[in-house]
Amino acid sequence: MPEYSYIGKRMPRIDSLAKVTGAAKYTADLKFPRMLVGKVLRSPLPHARILNIDASRALRLPGVKAVVTGKDTYGEKWGVFRYTQDQMFLPLDKVRYFGEEVAAVAATDEDTALEALELIKVDYEELPAVFDPMEAIAPGAPLIHDDFPQNINIHVHIEVGDVEGGFAKSYLVREDTFTAAEESYFQGEPYAVVARFDLDGNLEIWMPNAGPHMKAKPLSNALRIPLHKVHVRKIAIGGAFGGRSEISPADFICALLARKTGRPVKIVYTREENTVCTRQGHSMIATIKTGVDKTGRVLARDVTCYMDGGAYSSTGPIATSVPFLCMEQAYKMDSVRYNGYRIYTNKPIRGMIRVHGRAFACGVDTQLDMIAEELGMDPVEIRLVNAREAGEYTPTRSYVASCAMKETILKAAEKARWKEKWGKLPKWRGIGIGCNSVQTGFPMGIRGGSQAIIKFNEDGGATVISGVVDNGQGNDNMLVQIAAEELGLRPEDIQLVTADTEVTPLDPGAYSQVSTFIGGQAVRLAAQDARKKLFQIAARALEAHPDDLVARDRMIFVKGVPHKGLPIQKVIRMGLSQGISVAGEGSYWPKVDPKREWVQNPYGQMCEAFSFGTTIAEVEVDPETGKVKVLEVVAAQDVGFALNPLVLEGQFQGAVAMGGQGGMLTEYHFWDGGRVMNPTQLEYKVPLAIDMPRIHTIIVESVDPKGPYGAKEAGMSIAMSAAQAYSAAICNAIGVYLKDYPLTPEKILKAIREKEEAGEKTHQ
Amino acid sequence: MSKRIVKFRVNGEEVELAVEPHWTLLEALREELDLTGTKEGCSEGVCGSCTVLVDGAPVRACLTLALEVEGREILTVEGLGGPDGLDPLQRAFIERGAVQCGFCTSGMLMAAKGLLLENPNPSQEDIKRALAGNICRCTGYIKIIEAVEEAASLSPTPIHESR
Amino acid sequence: MRLPRFDYLEPHTLEEALEMRSEAGEKGEVLAGGTDLLVRMKQRLKKPSFLITLKHLRELEGVKMEEGELAIGAKTSLRDVIRSPWVQRYANGLAEALSSVGAYTIQHVRGTIGGNLCQDTRCLYYNQSAFWRSGRAPCHKAGGKICYAREGSDRCRSTNQSDGATALLALDARVTLRSLRGERTIPVSDLFTMKGEAPLDIRSDEILTTIRIPIASQSAASAYERISYRSAIDFPVACAAVLIEAEDKTIRRARIAVGAMGNAPLLMIQAAELLQGKPLEDEGAWKRAARIAMDHASAFAVNNVGATVEWRVSMVEVLVRRALRRACEAARGIGEGP
Repeated sequence: MPEYSYIGKRMPRIDSLAKVTGAAKYTADLKFPRMLVGKVLRSPLPHARILNIDASRALRLPGVKAVVTGKDTYGEKWGVFRYTQDQMFLPLDKVRYFGEEVAAVAATDEDTALEALELIKVDYEELPAVFDPMEAIAPGAPLIHDDFPQNINIHVHIEVGDVEGGFAKSYLVREDTFTAAEESYFQGEPYAVVARFDLDGNLEIWMPNAGPHMKAKPLSNALRIPLHKVHVRKIAIGGAFGGRSEISPADFICALLARKTGRPVKIVYTREENTVCTRQGHSMIATIKTGVDKTGRVLARDVTCYMDGGAYSSTGPIATSVPFLCMEQAYKMDSVRYNGYRIYTNKPIRGMIRVHGRAFACGVDTQLDMIAEELGMDPVEIRLVNAREAGEYTPTRSYVASCAMKETILKAAEKARWKEKWGKLPKWRGIGIGCNSVQTGFPMGIRGGSQAIIKFNEDGGATVISGVVDNGQGNDNMLVQIAAEELGLRPEDIQLVTADTEVTPLDPGAYSQVSTFIGGQAVRLAAQDARKKLFQIAARALEAHPDDLVARDRMIFVKGVPHKGLPIQKVIRMGLSQGISVAGEGSYWPKVDPKREWVQNPYGQMCEAFSFGTTIAEVEVDPETGKVKVLEVVAAQDVGFALNPLVLEGQFQGAVAMGGQGGMLTEYHFWDGGRVMNPTQLEYKVPLAIDMPRIHTIIVESVDPKGPYGAKEAGMSIAMSAAQAYSAAICNAIGVYLKDYPLTPEKILKAIREKEEAGEKTHQ
Repeated sequence: MSKRIVKFRVNGEEVELAVEPHWTLLEALREELDLTGTKEGCSEGVCGSCTVLVDGAPVRACLTLALEVEGREILTVEGLGGPDGLDPLQRAFIERGAVQCGFCTSGMLMAAKGLLLENPNPSQEDIKRALAGNICRCTGYIKIIEAVEEAASLSPTPIHESR
Repeated sequence: MRLPRFDYLEPHTLEEALEMRSEAGEKGEVLAGGTDLLVRMKQRLKKPSFLITLKHLRELEGVKMEEGELAIGAKTSLRDVIRSPWVQRYANGLAEALSSVGAYTIQHVRGTIGGNLCQDTRCLYYNQSAFWRSGRAPCHKAGGKICYAREGSDRCRSTNQSDGATALLALDARVTLRSLRGERTIPVSDLFTMKGEAPLDIRSDEILTTIRIPIASQSAASAYERISYRSAIDFPVACAAVLIEAEDKTIRRARIAVGAMGNAPLLMIQAAELLQGKPLEDEGAWKRAARIAMDHASAFAVNNVGATVEWRVSMVEVLVRRALRRACEAARGIGEGP
């Protein structure tokens, strides 16, 4: 293992200082001269034709500078994919969910803007609405989109091997159905947009985003301005968690208002708007049929999934696929069939979210536990039998180069003292395990790679130019660590110009978990390129061969002969005086199958690396109330290589909170028709500090051959395996397998009581 | 609607603002004084991103009218630390990795500051209870609690009392 | 979210406040801590033309002993009530109840005991933003004629979720209300109208000034239990407060109040009567009383606070039983007595 100066070290993040002093600027903090306040008028009906919009009274209100409606757009439908173009940002024809954008105003202050909204008169013709996905695909259901019969938005079909044959050969076959209500991101920062045009028609726009280049192109299309005139700017971002990736109506509307008024416009969402009018997670019904041999090895699996997609497609094909993909990566299976249906309903739009499909993930693992029980195995054993290993192919034919799944299982089990506890805990205490895997990347076509540029400054520092965006997970720091390491500089010598589409090259964004793997790799290559050029200059001066040089701590010197060296600053100046400007360039494109497509051809190399993780949780259930006290959690993940263990621990802990503590115990949305009844953190129960358990984090390093220094994605897998572990532990504590998530106290108590009654009956 | 004058102190400085009665302290801080370190995360007092100290005690700026703090001493995140550098809490948050997206950070710092001003030697339970009203979506809270513990152990007496 | 506009009235004495209150009438609201009122105003559930701030009225703060009772100024902060050694000694159930309100950083410093007692009722079909409630007819509490929580209900079914109100009912508290017309002191149970639309009998010219808690006999103890999904921030979805007065290791008198069921906290008379004369350590009596309380509470619960009625009602039995255990143990001098 090479000796690194910064890579692998616990390093406080460079962006922390601005955040702890209040200096970091988020979108809502921006203030420009003559800036107007924008507000959006939303549909109070879940499904209705728009007959007429009369904004005349609003326009007459002093202080109102513009109103926009569908008539101010080009009437085009947008979609993340060509085959999912179903959304107008300001609809002309009809509204499809309670909360959909209908019009917007820009006014001199917030009170005036709010008053103006009330003066806009919209005539609707209410249409029958449908809120349940199974009702939506039944005959006679109201059709939400004319081009999508039966309200089926996406159907992903994957079939590999001989599923029926596998079942026929199985020693044991189980079929179970698991369900979960939808969940939400609840990022700390409510969505906001600031937009302004300059005199040359360049748009500057700020918003929390998971990929500025992913925002720029659709904005350019929707506004019909050239891409090079759309500048999505860098801004501090208060979380994404799988959301905030594709263009949002608010982005478009804010730009429209800015264009129409000729002034900067700021739109800040309320917490309710952030919950209802951006994205949510999908609710899901997953029927899983699994056949195993006597050793517990899965021979065949057939999964059918119905997902409630809400009113528009968003990243439908991806969201419909990812739950399946995580499973096929985590576990061996030669024969598997998947039918995933994403269904339209008149509900808020659903998208990709960090815990991708509780019903699916927890269903697969709960069923494994049920099978294990029937076979007389323990849950750890059955996972070891089925765990993915390096050198294998997933059923959809992705090669897995690095994988330490088994190591994560064994290390977690050891730390959690599984053997001491399994089957031996006192009544109402339980222990459970969950395993999952997350892909480091999606097929992204011409936006699948990242390029970075590095320039040197006269004073010996360097500036890294990269499209990588930081949503709060630490990507900026990651780039600085890598650049400092490769260039032989200190972190404080590195300046970042990132996530600004005017300046930075293309990058796939953060939501496919590739910022380190692809973006970090590009920066590494650019730094190596820059370093190579510096070495040419230094070699001549030092009368040495470039291959014998090393850069470290602001010096370039001959390996093993530290006094035979020059400060980097001097080498840069030497270059300049020789007429040589030194800059570095690097890009990284993962070798994936370009023909792989989510729906048309879901086979082939999807990405180059996968992370693997195991979580074990120990809980205590109060049998009188059904409430769960989580005693201890162990989270182990194969991250390839830990670039910064301090940051990774924070990611694991946050993942346990989101996927387990919240995702499995308290987080879900409930409805009054098309209205979310819990749009804020008061009634949507995100976890609190006071309820968090002890968490042990274990970093496992399989050293991926392609990842920078061997690193892979690390922020998502634990959220999923934590949900699975919490669910398994609770089921173990009460002796009942629960299949409807999250596991609220009501459900747990009900299960306990039903079991007691059943037990009493058998004793009569 | 006519504005009214309200005088108070923010981070040690005397401030005089003309405000409308319905403006909250949060809006006054962010929009009139350009102190945007205090955040609006929910506007209903639930998330804690707007936590500031009024006379040393934590309150929700989003549920406090600007006119209500006449004559009071307000401390926001921008007022932490001094000319010599960062408050031990800020330093501990950085060093312990307690900051991820940072949106909840100022509220957490102010809630923690309020705790340490009153109880310089809090137990872990005290810290969890003091932070129970501050929501973080990124960190899972563990490193935040560790950072407050570390800051408490480094500063045996409160740095300044503001009453 | 923006507050609606209003006129801000700033009295410096209670007399001034009462004058302003009388003049503003139905168009005015009293502003104490504001942590409940301002949220409702942001949601446009309340749109007072006048807010009468109590910020200068220090005379409404403080915990005093007066003629054998605790007299707590209505404007005393939750924190100060909780920390009062007298409250901890003579009304521990109240200290426990107020400690469980929301979170320290939300209500405990600016929030007041009067504000918590007078907390308006809640319902998830009502306590929503103006936008959320638009697009359909307003409900009973919002001035309309329909109930969205219980189909066909001809009256409002909103729920009282005040921790303080439940505890004060069990403690047999009385409240003093003042106006220009005079002063009246009534049992806290009389404060509740049992009408969700207007749940409190506080006239539009009155200000609640004092909460009075009788100091019971030697061996008296009180306890409070509540349940919610999380350990902070949440309103209770079921709660119970009990007061036990003992003599010679026997229960001489008990009071049981159950909250988060119905428009007002409920006084469980039959359940309490069952406990009279029972030995302090009679666990069977606790169970029977708890079950009766649960049965009575079940008639009131409506599915409008985010947890199932079935679960909330069964929690009443658990909470009453646990509160009785702790209060009886405290009265015996065992366990975490005052």
